[in-house]
Amino acid sequence: MKLGAKSLDTKGKGVPFKFYTAYYVSTYSRRKAYTLRELLEGVKTADKNTLFHHVFHAVRAKHLLPPRYNNDFARWVGEEVGDEELAAALSDISGAEPAAIEDIRKEIVAILEPAADERRGRSEFVFVGMEPVVVETKYVAHTLAEFLDLVEVVPGESILYHFVTRRVLRSAGRNDFSTWLDKNFGLAEVADELSRIDPLAFNSEEALREAILTVLKKWLL
Amino acid sequence: MIERYIQFVGEDEVDAIVKLAERLQDLSILHVNSTAAGGGVAEILNRLVPLMRELGLRVDWRVIRGDQEFFTVTKTFHNALQVGAVEVPRSFYEIYERWQEINANELDLDYDVVFIHDPQPAGLVKYRKRGLWIWRCHIDVSTPNPEVWGFLRRYVSQYDAAIFHIPEFARDDLEIPQLLIPPSIDPLSPKNVELPPTAVERVMRKFDINPERPILLQVSRFDRAKDPLGVVEAYRLARRRMPGLQLVYLGSPAHDDPEGEAVYRETVEAAGGDPDIHLLMLPPDSHYEVNAFQRAATVVMQKSIREGFGLTVSEALWKKRPVIGGKTGGIKIQVIHGVTGFLATSPRTAAHYAVYLLREKRLREEMGAAGREHVRRNFLITHQLRRYLMAIAYVAKRAMWSD
Repeated sequence: MKLGAKSLDTKGKGVPFKFYTAYYVSTYSRRKAYTLRELLEGVKTADKNTLFHHVFHAVRAKHLLPPRYNNDFARWVGEEVGDEELAAALSDISGAEPAAIEDIRKEIVAILEPAADERRGRSEFVFVGMEPVVVETKYVAHTLAEFLDLVEVVPGESILYHFVTRRVLRSAGRNDFSTWLDKNFGLAEVADELSRIDPLAFNSEEALREAILTVLKKWLL
Repeated sequence: MIERYIQFVGEDEVDAIVKLAERLQDLSILHVNSTAAGGGVAEILNRLVPLMRELGLRVDWRVIRGDQEFFTVTKTFHNALQVGAVEVPRSFYEIYERWQEINANELDLDYDVVFIHDPQPAGLVKYRKRGLWIWRCHIDVSTPNPEVWGFLRRYVSQYDAAIFHIPEFARDDLEIPQLLIPPSIDPLSPKNVELPPTAVERVMRKFDINPERPILLQVSRFDRAKDPLGVVEAYRLARRRMPGLQLVYLGSPAHDDPEGEAVYRETVEAAGGDPDIHLLMLPPDSHYEVNAFQRAATVVMQKSIREGFGLTVSEALWKKRPVIGGKTGGIKIQVIHGVTGFLATSPRTAAHYAVYLLREKRLREEMGAAGREHVRRNFLITHQLRRYLMAIAYVAKRAMWSD
């Protein structure tokens, strides 16, 4: 049900939404792949933070990827090994809910496994791990109105943290925005539509933010 | 001072830095390196330490001392670690250890967090009494002389963590956590501040360069790793298609580097008296001139065969100049192929991309804008400051998640 701009001052059950932001400490995982087979082995055994980094950092505007590739594995396979078919398949993986990092690992393995042979990259693939460092922001929403306004202005890293990082790495099943809208206001339809947004379809936090705002405006305004 | 960076990175980024620093207020922090001025490490500490203090952190910076013999040893180690094939006499290890002990006796190392920069003071860890010790490596130790690395590794293994510029420089034979923090440029330093167009033109005229004709620029030492002969060759190939092209190779005199002088002579010979090849030697503190040259350039090249990080790439990208870089070291994370410039693997490919960029003004503008944004998001001093604070939080295990 559409709420309309005049009904957004409600506090629901009174639980505020505190926006946090996350930055990532990059670490060397002591693992490298020189061939497609080694890449597959690396994907199978990498810890979840390493896998998350290589798949989801493409959503961050800071990322170091040419925009035609959606994750590091796709870039390496395309640019270094020269298999554009396989790169396209890897670029096409879904990060939509309720996928947690282990689901994404299975999907990548399923794509890589039939193709994993001794073909070498011109340079090695280096597996890089990461640890999130979470910082509280000054932004807190008590009402739907405040929430809508703040989604437009909070740091891009904050959008990614609440919409992707916590869900995927902590296996929460659902993004923080949907959870809050559903539990605090009973807005199941808005929550569900937000949950259908696949973050891997975007290559910057701003593009992801825009998609989230579009859904919120559709239901709330 | 930190507020002056809001114009580049936004208020939220600076807020996050302040919040991270609040988390570390109770810690005393020490940086130790081998020189107070000159060189990239001193340059970055001269800017980072005041910023950290301004955030309320208790930060000190100490410089080790040594005699000429010690610095000959550390220079030899440096070359052996970066280049590999260097003869190192056995006595050098004893000299190194002796000066570690002398400095450990003279320096107050009683801090909660100690950053030791580069190999010169790395052995101080043997004298640690307490605190978290982090070895910050600013050089490429990926293919070192095994004996020198084996010697250094015994010390590095005693640290709580090490920090490298890029993953390719990290080591498989280290068990300690290895963090990755790229270096940075300061948008407020004389090398990077905006310059009036007239000043840029004046500097070009001063060095007999025609600012109305296209300029291909490389800023780096006359060092084989920077491939000056390849740059000249790339220029020659490009010039066939782009008459009027000028090459400026901007280096510094290398009085203490006999090989540098030899490479310079070889480059002069390769230039063969071409009046449009300008091989310039400027004093190391010519930041204003370097700034002007980077702004006057049509296309910037950093055609290194081997590179530590190559911050001149970020300097050029910050000035909206697309860069043709060698596919090596830190250049690979600054030049995103086809986005902020092109990665070249030979003089032929470098020339090909140079001609492409020289012909396509719109492409240069697009790549220039993408390059500046890439640096704004990743390689400014505030990012490095935040990453150092995060490194401390990580090593000290302080509140990684929000719940």
